[in-house]
Amino acid sequence: MEQHAQNADFAQRPYEAITREGETLIATHCAFCGMQCGMNIRVENGTNTVLGVEPRYDFPMNGGRLCPKGVSAYRQAEHTDRLLKPHIRKNGVLTESSWDEALDLIAGKIKELQARHGKDSIAIYSGSSMTNEKCYIMGKFARIGLGTRYIDYNGRYCMAAAATGFNQTVGIDRGSTGPWSDIKFADVLLIAGSNTAECHPLSMPYVWGARDRGAKLIVVDPRQTKTALAADIHLDLRPGTDIALANGLLHVMISENLVDRDFIDRHTSGYEALSELVARYDPAVVSEITGVAAGKIVEAARAFGKAKNGFVLFARGVEQHSTGSDTVSNYVNLCLVTGKVGRKGAGFATFTGQGNGQGGREHGQKADQLPGYRKITDPAARAHIAQVWGVDESEIPGPGISAYEMLKSLGEEIKMLLLVCSNPMVSAPSVGHVEQYLKKLDFFVAIDMFLSESAELADVVLPSTVWLEDNGTTTNVEGRVIRIKGIDRTPGESKRDWKIICELAERLGRGRYFDFNSPQEIFDELRIASKGGIADYSGITYDKIDRMNGVFWPCPSEEHEGTPRLFEDLRFNFPDGKARLHAFEHTGPNEKVDRDYPFILTTGRVVFHYLSGNQTRRIEALRKLCPDPYLEIHPILAARYGIGNGELVKVSSRRGSIFVPAKITKAIREDSLFVPYHWGKTLAINNLTNPALDPKSKIPEFKVCAVTLEKAKREELPHGQSALH
Amino acid sequence: MAKVLYIDFERCIGCRACMIGCEECSGHDHLSRMFVDELSPGETVATSPTPCMHCVTPACAESCPVQAISVLDGVVLSASQEKCIGCKNCTYACPFGIPRVDETRNLMYKCDLCYDRTSKGRPPMCVSVCPTDTILFLDEEEARHKRSKPVQYVWDFGGTAIETRTVVGIPDTDTHRFGYH
Repeated sequence: MEQHAQNADFAQRPYEAITREGETLIATHCAFCGMQCGMNIRVENGTNTVLGVEPRYDFPMNGGRLCPKGVSAYRQAEHTDRLLKPHIRKNGVLTESSWDEALDLIAGKIKELQARHGKDSIAIYSGSSMTNEKCYIMGKFARIGLGTRYIDYNGRYCMAAAATGFNQTVGIDRGSTGPWSDIKFADVLLIAGSNTAECHPLSMPYVWGARDRGAKLIVVDPRQTKTALAADIHLDLRPGTDIALANGLLHVMISENLVDRDFIDRHTSGYEALSELVARYDPAVVSEITGVAAGKIVEAARAFGKAKNGFVLFARGVEQHSTGSDTVSNYVNLCLVTGKVGRKGAGFATFTGQGNGQGGREHGQKADQLPGYRKITDPAARAHIAQVWGVDESEIPGPGISAYEMLKSLGEEIKMLLLVCSNPMVSAPSVGHVEQYLKKLDFFVAIDMFLSESAELADVVLPSTVWLEDNGTTTNVEGRVIRIKGIDRTPGESKRDWKIICELAERLGRGRYFDFNSPQEIFDELRIASKGGIADYSGITYDKIDRMNGVFWPCPSEEHEGTPRLFEDLRFNFPDGKARLHAFEHTGPNEKVDRDYPFILTTGRVVFHYLSGNQTRRIEALRKLCPDPYLEIHPILAARYGIGNGELVKVSSRRGSIFVPAKITKAIREDSLFVPYHWGKTLAINNLTNPALDPKSKIPEFKVCAVTLEKAKREELPHGQSALH
Repeated sequence: MAKVLYIDFERCIGCRACMIGCEECSGHDHLSRMFVDELSPGETVATSPTPCMHCVTPACAESCPVQAISVLDGVVLSASQEKCIGCKNCTYACPFGIPRVDETRNLMYKCDLCYDRTSKGRPPMCVSVCPTDTILFLDEEEARHKRSKPVQYVWDFGGTAIETRTVVGIPDTDTHRFGYH
């Protein structure tokens, strides 16, 4: 297919997919991660059976390339674990039931609880792996279907700090300032707190593209990740010290006059305060705080400061902290003081973790937000949305509270929870307490396609479809709106999430606001709702997405071809047009190591699993490659405790403990430990993590907590059989 | 001109997409013929894919007592289902440890460069999916001579030189910059 000019520098390849006899290819995108790689799903004609995957060589982002999750994503579709019927808990057991019985029960409970306790007694906890259409429906259903102020979503654990950081610094939260192909034209890449190679593997062609042109690669990470292995300079900092590190880099660039004074004067404010603060962070001081050799800090600052073009890229490693938003802003400061933004090869981005981590945070399923990235407290925004929805402005509730705060408060004002596309029994911090919170509910409903650790606890479980059985749009890591194309099938009695919500609304007497017959009808309403907002989708149509291989927002009219690169005019989204340089003092993590808990625990992903593992742990090919969590521990620390490779270790924090086999490796710092987080129950490392929240974004501090360890005396828990099987 | 696999293992991220992708080629019966190895576990996170090296004089074929393994345009194929007796001679003979035997069918299987795809002008599945372009499908001349780094396609096994059609880009062992010792 003829590529639109916006895709010229991307990774597409000149091959056509192979179509086999008796099959049809569905050109769609992966279900996992914000890269949203293009892929073709092979479907058997007549039966609609999902047969496999075929590379989609002409999709710009990945050119047919896929990571192991992408290759095997389709294997969810025919999986024997799928929920095919609604289940109602009867005599303590989840029992197959009919849709009528399940929906009548839910609607009855909603009416009963709201009559007794008020509208806010019902809450929605949703997710960002759903299409924009579904995310939009969730927000609308909470506000005018249920009339509750309580809705938030799992992106609170994922993208919230980046969103707040971007908003306070440049006034707009689009994950990347430029198209991903811009990365290839950087002279220096600074990647902080992102194991790009494992968590966003399809970004690597862009990283290598830059390197092939001679770019320097600086990686900030406590671990020697696959990404750090390829770096010219690896800043192996102590977890939780990013603000100090960025201050050190700013200090060196300012003192060696590597900053762009002209850009600073014309396009930013706050430079004096920033330079005053970072003056105290010389390389020796920063080395003491971060544990990174002073020489490497200087070397990195010079490499970044002297380069004409450069990109700063970061992810949860810098964001999931009690200072996450400010850490994001401080890394963005590196680009702003050197004028690296608004052109090919220069900018900053966060790697979106969830499939629709970008779109999912734009259209109203956040506690304080209305569609189009509007504030729910803004009278003009409320008036606009009320008019689109056909309700009185007073019918739209005020802001709710963040995901973890909501979980903690269950049973107080909130009596019933509707959980959609999320698995907090794996993904929430201090997860051992979440079950107690959920048990305080009068009624708990979960919508999922597999019986997740969370759904297991529900009173009613409704079966939804997998991603390739529905149509819609998602917005990828770049801010590019793309189309998810589905197969026309709903196995067993499963239903699409949006359809379930519409049917529930009907039973609540609110059907007239949810009279949708297709995702496209929802999208057309979303377009109008977003019109004039920051995330303006009003000019994006399904046809245009097909024609251009995705459209970048903002796209304010049908004639408009979208906005691949922000800030080309160097005007930032504040009234004075200037970006705000905020200065931040290093305070460190909420929980610091001490005599009782002397080591730092950090957590993260592996390439084989996605989020809570509810999908990937069921895919045999992936589970085989990484069946269980493990503990990365440095050989010196392991020797101190007499721990051998593969031996079981008990790791404990103030909140809980876990038994995990040791993986002895020099890839981790001596003072730190790493365990991946994709498992539940006794294998959940989130039993240990600290629920301290960043006061600005309410993201929990997953990335640092204080732990102790001991060699386990006996194998107290069976491994080799992950919590699901 | 014949195309061959070129491996630049400094780019390998150990994701095993090639191994799972291999299962997706029609004609591969969902059995992967690809390998990924950790090069120095515990020391570094470096990994490398090992596909069939497609030897110019393949020991697997030479060792086969029933001539079940044939070579087509330089590509060493899986054993013929009619002929293979599952004796595993080939698995012992191969210096790279590539052939495997499917115990349920008593049948050897190995990389055939995705005959189903390459015969239609598409790259093999491992090349198609590899997220980092660690595995490329190049004209043999280009793979051997025109790469930006030194390459190897003749291997010394105890004095016996084995020439392969698969070409490997040699990692930077002078500075060990990417952890490849």
